[in-house]
Amino acid sequence: MAGPSTLDFLRRMIADMGATQRNKVAALTVAEVAELRNIFALLLLGAFVGLPSPPTFLAVELLPLMEKELQILNRRAQDSCDMLAEMCGMLGID
Amino acid sequence: MNILFFTGKGGVGKSTLAAATAWQLSQKSRVLIVSLDPAHNLGDIFGVSLKKKTSFSKRLALEEIDLKKRTKAYLKREIGVLNETYKYLQVLNLDNYFSVLQYSPGIEEYALLSGIEEVIESDNEYDYVIFDTPPTGLTLRFLALPRVTITWIERLIQIRRTILEKCHTIHRICGPMSDQETLLNFEEEDDRVLQRLIALGRKYRNLDAVLQGNACRIVTVFNPDQLSLREAERLILALKDLNLPLRLLVDNKITDANLPTAERVENQLRKITDASLTRVRLSDGLSGGRSSKLYEIQEDMTSWFPTGAS
Repeated sequence: MAGPSTLDFLRRMIADMGATQRNKVAALTVAEVAELRNIFALLLLGAFVGLPSPPTFLAVELLPLMEKELQILNRRAQDSCDMLAEMCGMLGID
Repeated sequence: MNILFFTGKGGVGKSTLAAATAWQLSQKSRVLIVSLDPAHNLGDIFGVSLKKKTSFSKRLALEEIDLKKRTKAYLKREIGVLNETYKYLQVLNLDNYFSVLQYSPGIEEYALLSGIEEVIESDNEYDYVIFDTPPTGLTLRFLALPRVTITWIERLIQIRRTILEKCHTIHRICGPMSDQETLLNFEEEDDRVLQRLIALGRKYRNLDAVLQGNACRIVTVFNPDQLSLREAERLILALKDLNLPLRLLVDNKITDANLPTAERVENQLRKITDASLTRVRLSDGLSGGRSSKLYEIQEDMTSWFPTGAS
């Protein structure tokens, strides 16, 4: 007899499949958001790597609120040596 | 409130003229004169020590903006926010690491601008606020700062809004249960960076509106000589670029001997601006230093800035 545990299992399976599909659909947008946040951090703190930057005080004003952006900036800098793999991963190419 | 900026090359007499104008205007109106020059000499001109805002007479107040103090206060405030944000790291002595920031490019201009902003916002009790500015280079940089900052802020806000829109899309696709680490808040009110940017944008737009408004008048002082002419030309063109209101040119230190040169220099300047032009003769009384009478300048400067004009 199909007990509540089987039904639960099926329900969870369908829910997980749905979530996986949704995540797959959103993956590119997630990558895009990360890239935009990286650009935002680069624009604001570009002086550190020789880019033209906004007035220093603007960077100082926003710096305390930009923990997440700095993490992304750091991760992107670490991944930058293998951009091809990064792009393939993003586009789902095996 | 009327706001006057006395600008010009170093040594042309802008501090003296600003002081004399302040004194003459204070005979009928309430006047605050503020020195923005890092090498202050407003106190020397009036023969008083200016550690803080001081009343020189019933209607005249003097102030020298202490850039070092202002920079330190600003950095202290920012370090306070850093400490608050990174409390869990138990960051100690951050100010030692961040103290070097005071030498960063742009910090001095920021300190000047925040000084001007504070004076304009807080001092409603005066009819005239007169700013004696530092030499041209620094003056132009801090006068340009609101415009430059607004441009940057608008661009950054645009990027931030795009990020939030995309986060909203992700939220709608993945639902509220998503625990993806990269997800941001998608509501504008929840994004502290955007809120800070919007607040800063508002602040600089207000300041820019004051600087470009009818209440603000920029006076350029020059002498009848080539060096001073060249710098005045650069200043006038830069003010035009920044859309700032140059209202008066003052040809200072005129003598009988340099009158032909003065006319030549004035004609050159008239070609690039239609601002009014006036002359101030070299006053012998000023050469005696502190004991001399600043107020012996013969020209009636109050006529340049009619009371109640706004």
